[in-house]
Amino acid sequence: MLAEYQSQQHLYLQLQDVVKKELGKLIKKSGMAINSMEFRIKEEASLAGKLKRKGPKYHSLQDITDILGARIITFYNEDVDRIAALAESLFEIDWSNSVDKRKMHEVSSFGYNSLHYICRVPKTLYNDPELPQLNQIRFEIQMRTALQHVWSAIQHDIGYKSEIEIPMEYHRQLSRLAGLLEVADDEFSRIRTSIVDYRRRVQKLVNKGLLEEVPIDGDSFNSYMAIRPFDKLNRRIAAITQAEIQEAPFLPYLKVMRQLKLQTLGDIGRMIKEDSDDAYQLALFQLGSTDIDILSETIGLQNLCIVHNLKTGRGKPGLVKMFEAINGIHPQNEKLASIVIEQASRLSFMNK
Amino acid sequence: MNIDIIEQNGGMTAIFKGRLDTPAAVKAQQDIAPLLENADKEITLDCTDLEYISSSGLRLFLTLRKETSAKGGKVVIVNINDEIKKVFMMTGFFNLFDIR
Repeated sequence: MLAEYQSQQHLYLQLQDVVKKELGKLIKKSGMAINSMEFRIKEEASLAGKLKRKGPKYHSLQDITDILGARIITFYNEDVDRIAALAESLFEIDWSNSVDKRKMHEVSSFGYNSLHYICRVPKTLYNDPELPQLNQIRFEIQMRTALQHVWSAIQHDIGYKSEIEIPMEYHRQLSRLAGLLEVADDEFSRIRTSIVDYRRRVQKLVNKGLLEEVPIDGDSFNSYMAIRPFDKLNRRIAAITQAEIQEAPFLPYLKVMRQLKLQTLGDIGRMIKEDSDDAYQLALFQLGSTDIDILSETIGLQNLCIVHNLKTGRGKPGLVKMFEAINGIHPQNEKLASIVIEQASRLSFMNK
Repeated sequence: MNIDIIEQNGGMTAIFKGRLDTPAAVKAQQDIAPLLENADKEITLDCTDLEYISSSGLRLFLTLRKETSAKGGKVVIVNINDEIKKVFMMTGFFNLFDIR
C-alpha cells in the first residue's frame, strides 16, 4: 500500500487543489467568516505508522479515508452546520463513514467534539479524463469551532485520544474544562444573535427618528451616520469656497461624543440644532479668505465638536482631548488647540 | 517646486521644497509616480522645506493616501509648518494622515 501511495501522490495533490478551490469559493460566496481552513496530505511516515497499528483493518489504500484531510475551524457552532451544508452541496458524502462526534457523548461525559465528513469529488464538479481515479478517492473534512479545536489540541498535547484513557483523578477537572468550553461556545452564539438583533432594533429607531431612545455606541453611531446628519452643515460650509466634500471615517469622533458627555443620538441631534450656526461661523472665519476647495466629510462634525467644547467651558484642555481622540496622542494637538482658540476668540459665540 | 524621491528605511521618502501650488501640483502628479508604484510601503512626505500647500497639493496627498490604504502601505507626513498645519486642521484632514 505504501508503494501505491507513492505512485498516487500526484492524484492527492490534484484532489487537494480541487477541494481547496471549490470549497474556498463557496465559503467566500456565503460571506461566512471562518477562523481557518487547512489541508494536509498524510506523510508517508504517518501512513506507515497507521498501517502498522491498524493494518488488518485496511484491504486497500482506498479504505484509508484521511490521506487527504481538510480542517475547517469556525467561530460559532451554527457555522459548523453551515459548512457541513456547503460540503453536502459540493461533494458526495459517504454517510456510513461520516461521524458527528458532537452527538456522541453521554450527559455526564465530555470529549472530542467535531463533525467529520468523508467525501468524494463528483464528476459534475471536476472531471479530468486523464485522472478518472481522482473521483474515487475519499477524503476527510473535519469541521469544528475554535474552542472545540482548542480542546482537541490540548487533549492531543496531554496524550489522551479518548475519555477512557484519562486517570479518574483528572476526570472531574477535564470534565469541568470541557463543559466550560461548551458553555463558552453556546454563549458566543447567543451573544452574536443578540448583537445582530440589537443592530436591527437600533436601525429601526434611527430610521423612525426616535433618537432620544438610542444610547451612543459603535453600532448606533454607525447607523446614525448612515442617515447623514451632518450633510446640511457640510454643504453650507462647502459653499464658502465651492469646495468638494471628500469621504472620511467618522468613527474617531465616537470617543469625542463621550468626552462631551453626549449620551444619546438625541443629544447629537440637539448639538447639531444648537451649534450649527456657530460651527459655520468658525468655518467661515477659517476658510473665507482662502481658495481651499476640498474638505473632509467630517468638517461639519469637527467644527460642531470644537464649538460645543468651547461653549460648555471646556476650553483648551477640552480641545486638546478632542484632538487626541481623533488624531492620537501627538505633540501637534496642543498647537492645533491654540490655533483654534485664537480663531474662535474673534467670534460672537465666544464673546457673549 | 522640487520633489526629490529616495528609497530609505525600506520605504520611500519624497522631499518637497518650495510651494505646492496648483501648477506645481499638476507637475507633481507625474513626479510622484515612483511613490504610487511603491504604495505597499511606508511613504514619508518630508515637508521641512514645503512653504505652502494648495487644494491641488492636498488632493495629491489624498491620492497617495488612498493608494497606500488600498495596497497596505502608509503615508507619514513630517515637519509641516504652522500654516500648513492650519490647512490640514481647517479642512478636517488632519486625522487622515500620520503627521509627525
